[in-house]
Amino acid sequence: MASTQSTPIATPELSALTNLISSTTSSDPLSASTVQILHNLQHQHLWTSLQVHDLKDPNLRALSIGEGLATTPSEDQTVPRYLISGIPPHRVYTHPDEQLYLLERGLREEDIELERMFVLPTVKNQPWSLRKMASVFDSLSDEADIQAKEASLDDGEETNDGAGEEKAEKLVEYYEYRKKARVTKEWGGKRLLLAMVDRGMGGDGTVVYYVVQEGAVKPRQN
Amino acid sequence: MTTEPTLPIPISYIAGNYYLFSIDAVTYLRREHHICGVLIGTLPQIPQQNVFLGLPLELMPEEARLLVEKGVACIVDEVKVQNQGMKALMEEDRKRYLRELESQGLQAMRLQANRKEQQREKTLKKLEEKKAKAAKSKKSSEDPDPEPAPAVADGPKDDPLTELFADSQPSSHSQTTSRRTSTTVAPENAMGITPATARPPLPAEPSAEQLLPMPQVPSSYPLFAHLHAEGYFLSPGLRFGCQYLAYPGDPLRFHSHFLVVSAEWDEELDLMDIIAGGRLGTGVKKGFMIGGAEKENNVDEESVRTFSIEWAGM
Repeated sequence: MASTQSTPIATPELSALTNLISSTTSSDPLSASTVQILHNLQHQHLWTSLQVHDLKDPNLRALSIGEGLATTPSEDQTVPRYLISGIPPHRVYTHPDEQLYLLERGLREEDIELERMFVLPTVKNQPWSLRKMASVFDSLSDEADIQAKEASLDDGEETNDGAGEEKAEKLVEYYEYRKKARVTKEWGGKRLLLAMVDRGMGGDGTVVYYVVQEGAVKPRQN
Repeated sequence: MTTEPTLPIPISYIAGNYYLFSIDAVTYLRREHHICGVLIGTLPQIPQQNVFLGLPLELMPEEARLLVEKGVACIVDEVKVQNQGMKALMEEDRKRYLRELESQGLQAMRLQANRKEQQREKTLKKLEEKKAKAAKSKKSSEDPDPEPAPAVADGPKDDPLTELFADSQPSSHSQTTSRRTSTTVAPENAMGITPATARPPLPAEPSAEQLLPMPQVPSSYPLFAHLHAEGYFLSPGLRFGCQYLAYPGDPLRFHSHFLVVSAEWDEELDLMDIIAGGRLGTGVKKGFMIGGAEKENNVDEESVRTFSIEWAGM
């Protein structure tokens, strides 16, 4: 019944996410949302080898997360500042023509090595414009440059994991064709994931992901 | 059969809209220039029948502008053309035109009479064949009860005959005479012709003072022109809640690929609109496309950049 003892109301402990945000970032909202989305990718979608890149860095070098984002607060808080990159547990996007190519050769999506994908963190109600979108895409390096770099790094690295000679051959063929397709943009040009987190008043922290591609890329047959 | 209209095709500007009234122009533009427009003509008596529409074809201002820029078409002030054209019509021209209409009516009447005649002959032949057959069968099966059989056969035979002669009574003496009368129709029996176009009586080509300048277009025009140049067929996107629908080929053969929305380079967008568009597009197996003309400082020529958005499924 009515107990005379008043139990002290303890404030609930802060969530793991809040702790993470407050320990790794300054009060800059952009970096906070970046950490939140990274957290979501890591724990909800099980992405691996996640990195954060500063868009101001022309080479998009990865920042170590602990070192603290936004050591210099950005002047305009609405301009996108960071990109996240990571490796998803399974392929997020396959161009319809690429899918056809795979089908014709009897390859499956699981046979193909997973690739690093870029994620653009945004917040609901963040002002946005075509110029901002274009600037983010411009900061992604061109496919021709990437391939030139790769070619100088390693020549002829064969991966034979004993999955059958025939399949390995087909995979090599596929990788070769994909290189060409990326330059011709046959299977789509630059692409990234747009992540929007619902923060602020009443926001429940949901993150939604959309594939954004440069140019007119025909839709998948979902 | 390809009928090519004379270029430039006159686009009629009436009350702020752009129309085409010639079926040759409509098919030509669709075939050669990927301009589809929207057919808006209904039957005057049944305007609620709006699934299959006919001429005229309404063009978006963007479409009209594109055609004018290509030099394929010109914009004509239709009200001026009608007024001036009718005033300039001489009495002699008017009479000639009326005579022409009358001769067309006679021609139509003649065709109809001929067709009736042919039908009549066909049914007569059929009846005769039937009679012959019935007679044959009667001969072959003489015995059991010959009475009811002809009675049944006669009944239906009479009906088509009376029906047939009912509407062609004036010319039903014999086959030869009726054929002769059908080729000569009295002028007062000529069919009334409702001309579908105002040219012949009006001059086919508009004069320079009846031409209008380039159509005013919304700021989405660069995106429209860009997509059109890439080979897409564009149609108004109201049905899908966007500005344009982009088809990879003729809309009669393809589903559209994109829901297109245009934005100014620095126009503030709500991210929510991008998400909503992406979700809507994915829901109807299309991509959501947002784009606009890139405005770089000190560069005058505009390049258009587009982004395709789809739900990532995660």
